[in-house]
Amino acid sequence: MNTMDAGAALQRPIAAPQLPAPAAAVPAYVLAAGTRVQPRTGVAGALSVMGAMLRMSVIEAKRYYFNSLVRLVSLYAFFFVVFMGAWTTMGDNPTFGASLSGIVVGLMVWMLAMRAYSDHSNRLNMEATQGTLEQLAMSPIGLARVLVYNMAAMMFAQMGFMFVFLVLMMATTRQWLHLDVLSLVPLLILTMLGVHGMGMAMGGLALVFKRVAATVGIFQYVFLMLIAVPIDKVPVLKFLPLSWGALLIRRVMVDGTSILRLPPGDVLFLAANSLAYFAVGMLIFKMCERAARNRGMLGHY
Amino acid sequence: MSEYALEVRDLRKEYRTRRGLVRAVDGVSFAVRPGEVVGLLGANGAGKTTTLKCLCTLIRPTSGTLRVMGQDAMAHPHRALPRIAAVLEGNRNIYWQLSPRENLEFFAGIQGLPVRAVRPQIHALLDFFRLDAKSDTPARMLSRGMQQKLAIACALVKQTDVVLLDEPTLGLDVQTSFELRGILRQIASGGERTVMLSSHDLAVVQALCDRVIIIHAGRVVTDERVGTLLELFRPRGYRVRLDGALKEPQRRRLEALFPAVTARAEADGGSTVDVEMHEPQTMYDLVDALRQDGAAVRSVERRSRSLEEVFLSLTEQGLAA
Repeated sequence: MNTMDAGAALQRPIAAPQLPAPAAAVPAYVLAAGTRVQPRTGVAGALSVMGAMLRMSVIEAKRYYFNSLVRLVSLYAFFFVVFMGAWTTMGDNPTFGASLSGIVVGLMVWMLAMRAYSDHSNRLNMEATQGTLEQLAMSPIGLARVLVYNMAAMMFAQMGFMFVFLVLMMATTRQWLHLDVLSLVPLLILTMLGVHGMGMAMGGLALVFKRVAATVGIFQYVFLMLIAVPIDKVPVLKFLPLSWGALLIRRVMVDGTSILRLPPGDVLFLAANSLAYFAVGMLIFKMCERAARNRGMLGHY
Repeated sequence: MSEYALEVRDLRKEYRTRRGLVRAVDGVSFAVRPGEVVGLLGANGAGKTTTLKCLCTLIRPTSGTLRVMGQDAMAHPHRALPRIAAVLEGNRNIYWQLSPRENLEFFAGIQGLPVRAVRPQIHALLDFFRLDAKSDTPARMLSRGMQQKLAIACALVKQTDVVLLDEPTLGLDVQTSFELRGILRQIASGGERTVMLSSHDLAVVQALCDRVIIIHAGRVVTDERVGTLLELFRPRGYRVRLDGALKEPQRRRLEALFPAVTARAEADGGSTVDVEMHEPQTMYDLVDALRQDGAAVRSVERRSRSLEEVFLSLTEQGLAA
């Protein structure tokens, strides 16, 4: 085609394209507006969201089983290094057994706390990078509640994982702790609630500042300190997050005290302390989410 | 029940930057009736995506009113969001580690829909989007076109009244883009779901949309039915090809009869005459004028403008203004 023909062809009218028909007949569902299946609200709606989040995590854990396996092995290796370090330095000490029990419990609480703290910001970063964060933010229940339901679903999954890991740790140290599930589960939930509040605050900051992973490095030491603070010597330290809960968990697992035998005031204080930290965390998250929506940077990464 | 599926009044979005105040959207207003398929056109940075993101509450506007199926999206997002779904980042809007079926189940779940109850619909969507053969393959292993189709299916599984599609055919090869257009046409022709799509591919908009809103520099330049727009801007021009050269007396006669005449000689010895006329019946005058001088007419072609030309005219007018 010479230049003139090409010019003429460009001037030709554009015919309406004949679009191909899809393979299947168009289902009424695809065309129809409005709701055919009623969305659940309230507790049922929350369970629906939690179910979706949990299913996705299980699928990911199974599909990327190598990563899940490496995670378990690296956690165990970390514990083994700590255990060997303690054994070589304190192995001859007659109180070593009691100290080791404390280390096992402390390590379990620390690992759960690290996950609780970093989960929200990690998740938000991952979702933003993938391009799915805006889809979660468009959920009718709101992004904060999606994260809370995810937290609730994952808390149980992580506790299950931790119990398996705990048995491994106990078998290695031959220190058999009291695994009173009925006492431990409520205490762990209450303790981790406060840490999740800190995680929500960090998740909110991740929406605005995008990269907050550096804080995880700092907080791993902060959490170690919070777990180990001597509340019996400085009672005011019980107002810190995690510390009071870690103490009560030690009483259950090392001393064998049931939750029913713990002073009700102690448990109530843990609940109030954790709820306060969680509420502050949610408030910071909401403020950051609003700022991110105002700046139009919710989906940025 | 609201008269409009989407109602945008005097929408403004300003950002404070180090260089000062930037107006991304500057007083955009439009309304879309239920079942309409509306195209949102504009150059890069015109404010299309900001408008769409404001509609689905992802960006909080500086001022203005946004209503989705009558629900105030700014004051009560939890009431508006069950009515609206959006595909904003194409194939990035899905979980690549999940299969198409798992993606659909996930998005139904976070919408609060019981997964077991929507399984028949999920099956229908997989079938309709030709994803049934790959329903259990992780999305990362699908082609871009399939991922794009899955993203749209994920928006549809939420069962909302309004669906927003930002560049639904961006980055697709010609064949897949054509197939997706066919699918979108089917969805649009149902007339129940309200669809608003933004695209740079004007052929997509021309093929799918009833109406087009053109945004330029954050403002609505035009809001008109596609057909009306093309009709308004059609110059009613004709291209006449002659066997020989156009003689000077013929040219003078044509110029006396028509407002704009351009003629050029062709390499094969013939000539091409482009004539614009306001009344189609003057076409006969044109042929008569040429025949008087014995010119041999080889062909007569009507020239019409594409939406692309109309869009460029309108945005150039916007720039000039």
